[in-house]
Amino acid sequence: MEEMLLHPADGNSTSRQFGGAAPFFVGLVVALIFGWWAFPGMLYSENEQPIDFNHKVHIQDAEMECSACHYFREDGTFAGLPTTESCAECHSDEPLGEDPEEARFIKEYVETGKEVKWYVYQKQPDNVFFSHAAHSLESCNNCHDFSEVELCSQCHIDVANMDKTPTYYENKLTTYSKQTMKMWQCERCHAHPEHFGVTRSSNACFVCHK
Amino acid sequence: MAVDRRGFLKFVAGATTGVLATPVPWKLLDDASIWTQNWSWIPRNVDGENSYISTISKLCPSAAGMKIRLVGNRPVRALPDDNHPLSMGGITALAAAEVQLMYSPSRVKRPLKHSGDGAYVAISWEEAEKMLKENLRRAGSKVAYVSGDETGTINELLSGMAKASGSEDFYMMPSEVQPAALAFANMNGKGQLGYDIENSDYVFAIGANILESWGTVLRNRAAFKNTHPAGEKPTATFVYAGPVQSNTAAGADEWLPAKSGAEAIVAMGIANLLIKSGATIDAPDFAEFKELAALYTPQKVATLAGVAPAKLKAIAAALSKAQNPVVLTGSEFGQGTGVATVLAGTAVNMLLGSFGREGGVKALPLAPKVIASGMDRSEIAQKDLVAYLSRLNAGKVSAPKAMVFYEANPVYGLPQPAAMSKVMHKVPFKVAFTSFLDETAKACDLILPTPLGLERFDDVETPYGIGQAFYGLARPVAPCAVDGKPAADVLLGVAGQLNMDLGFATFEEVLQAKAEAAGADWDSLMEGEFFTSDAVVEQSGLRLCAGIIGKALASAPKAGKLSIAPVQKLNIGTPNTAIPPYNNKTIRRWELQKNEMYVAMNGATARELGVVKHDRIKLSNSSGSIQARVNIFEGVMPNTIAVLMGFGHTAFDKFSKGKGENVMELLTVGYEAGTGQSVWNVAGVNVSKA
Repeated sequence: MEEMLLHPADGNSTSRQFGGAAPFFVGLVVALIFGWWAFPGMLYSENEQPIDFNHKVHIQDAEMECSACHYFREDGTFAGLPTTESCAECHSDEPLGEDPEEARFIKEYVETGKEVKWYVYQKQPDNVFFSHAAHSLESCNNCHDFSEVELCSQCHIDVANMDKTPTYYENKLTTYSKQTMKMWQCERCHAHPEHFGVTRSSNACFVCHK
Repeated sequence: MAVDRRGFLKFVAGATTGVLATPVPWKLLDDASIWTQNWSWIPRNVDGENSYISTISKLCPSAAGMKIRLVGNRPVRALPDDNHPLSMGGITALAAAEVQLMYSPSRVKRPLKHSGDGAYVAISWEEAEKMLKENLRRAGSKVAYVSGDETGTINELLSGMAKASGSEDFYMMPSEVQPAALAFANMNGKGQLGYDIENSDYVFAIGANILESWGTVLRNRAAFKNTHPAGEKPTATFVYAGPVQSNTAAGADEWLPAKSGAEAIVAMGIANLLIKSGATIDAPDFAEFKELAALYTPQKVATLAGVAPAKLKAIAAALSKAQNPVVLTGSEFGQGTGVATVLAGTAVNMLLGSFGREGGVKALPLAPKVIASGMDRSEIAQKDLVAYLSRLNAGKVSAPKAMVFYEANPVYGLPQPAAMSKVMHKVPFKVAFTSFLDETAKACDLILPTPLGLERFDDVETPYGIGQAFYGLARPVAPCAVDGKPAADVLLGVAGQLNMDLGFATFEEVLQAKAEAAGADWDSLMEGEFFTSDAVVEQSGLRLCAGIIGKALASAPKAGKLSIAPVQKLNIGTPNTAIPPYNNKTIRRWELQKNEMYVAMNGATARELGVVKHDRIKLSNSSGSIQARVNIFEGVMPNTIAVLMGFGHTAFDKFSKGKGENVMELLTVGYEAGTGQSVWNVAGVNVSKA
């Protein structure tokens, strides 16, 4: 009867059978695949906008500026997304183009007076005080030479050159968008010594976290 | 191929190493921190367009004008309104908290019925209105109405309903309004006394806490601010006489320490000196008044009121010298003053030639009543709530079968509240129209939630203290946050079902008629404008009522060696609001610590009583007792204990309930000789270590 030993003396131990570095590397590779490939897919849910809005046709064909719809209110606050009412100033009775999405927008939203529940790619949490007014063309173009589209796309997805609205990736844990800027991205300008010299926008905490 | 333990551990080690080289732990750590920002109890910003609506606070007794900032449709903040005559760029601590009070945890959220076992049962509005109607029908003429609104036309509606059912029992919660109205009526005056503080160069406030709680506080403060430019010489002098260095005393150019309840004596002392210097009044009873004033020499005033004779003489001289002096009288806690105090103060104004003069005292016109069966302000002033409840308590009048309380909290806010709550047990049916679950509501059988002033239409007519006639609307800035209905509309509906003809179907019609009667333009009022008028009522044959002053002062109650001086501060709220949760942090650590309140006395008084700072003491007299800790403050007169009002609630929420004790427990009701008016501005007290 074979002697039951923890470490068999014949040298043909199970640790040798599965030994060496193989299990370690298997684990390593599995983790790397999981971490870099599977995890992002698991972390984010994919959502499409309720209306496939074509920014390009507005900017390039209709020659509109971003600020035509995303404007500052009279009180100086930023209106952000346009309301259905303001879209209906152009898109009311009959569609202006061939895009079936426009017809659907008029039928489902303009005619019913409903607001579109747009997904916002760049929504910052409440503990970040972001003023669009402080990041204006007047301010940035003291040194740069941005067009409105170029300035906006410094932080926002460059939708001005897209026919289709990009997919919205929602972080299942935080509920924020995958594209929401992180602080280090803000610091590309805020921590830049030349920016501070010109705009006085320091990188101090209270500049954004009031 | 089996995996042994060692192989498995190697696999885990490899996986762990691999995971550390991926975003998984770092991303999850970061996301977890962001996830904590999404907890449900963390407030969210709501984006939207900023807009501002001009309105008037119905919660603040000074009828503060304000503009409400809305983001989208949501009110977020009450702000000063530079263009509003009741704000003049300022806001009171109470009005500033009004938006937050919309979401107060103590708001009554739906109609409630007090069931037999003491629990509250939520009922529908339909059932509540039916219950109200049936009980009012059953009560017939045995009904009493109590209002906590000093300036609204709803008082005409409530008194009109009382009269339409055959009852004369409509009462307002006591304030400075009634003694002033009674005093002026006794003088044969017409209209409402108004004080033109803005145009005065010498303002002498005797007991009137003008920079904190008396009259239209924000106008008073604006007058103070405008005459006291920073870094420059003041263009007017403000002097305050009172027992405690209150906010008014601290702001004034001079504080004249004077005993609590001795306001009339101080005024008579000034009258004595003015008459001696040759001042006179063209009044039929001036000779009698002169004789009476002669008794109040500076030495006598020093004995009775604790005012140094030299100081009194200096103030009398300064008043004589001023171009537009004005004397204001009142109680430092806004109630309990006698009629004689206002009479004496008005007489001093007349001696100074300030009656009817710019920067002095004016008789302001009031709009005629619009509900024919209702009472006007002069009639309402004759109705003494404290006297009525005292008679009820003593069984001298039969108890009504129904009592209706409109935004009034007598169970907490009247002197000797224990006696007042006993009265409640004698009334078979009590209904409270209230926004908050206050002490009175808790003693009622039916509790009906009213929208706050920010959620309903209401009006404000010429608040007491203001120097010009005023009419303005409180306008809804947001939908009612609870299932509330405006009391006026509910009552008009019930009145219609009971066949009471009040002449109006809706309260908006009442307000429109009132606006027209006041001379205001309704459309402008609806746009946030307001009506003001510098018109005055011409007077003839004004009397000084020396007889009333003489009798009242001759038999004025004496406090004894130690007296209490209640102090009112608007940040601590009113009986109707309790402490707004927004304001808890404005209460100082020497006023309240956790649930223990502090009372203030000066060092000499403390030494005499053998107590030191933080000692726990018991204050007691024949009316009741309270416990507190000692704070030493040299801004309190000797032998006086300053006690803050607004503490000791037994209702409301965790922000008010059980915090400190109610000073009203110590206030003893007396009756003023000469007028029979109830007074409680003098209270002696005994102190022992608790």
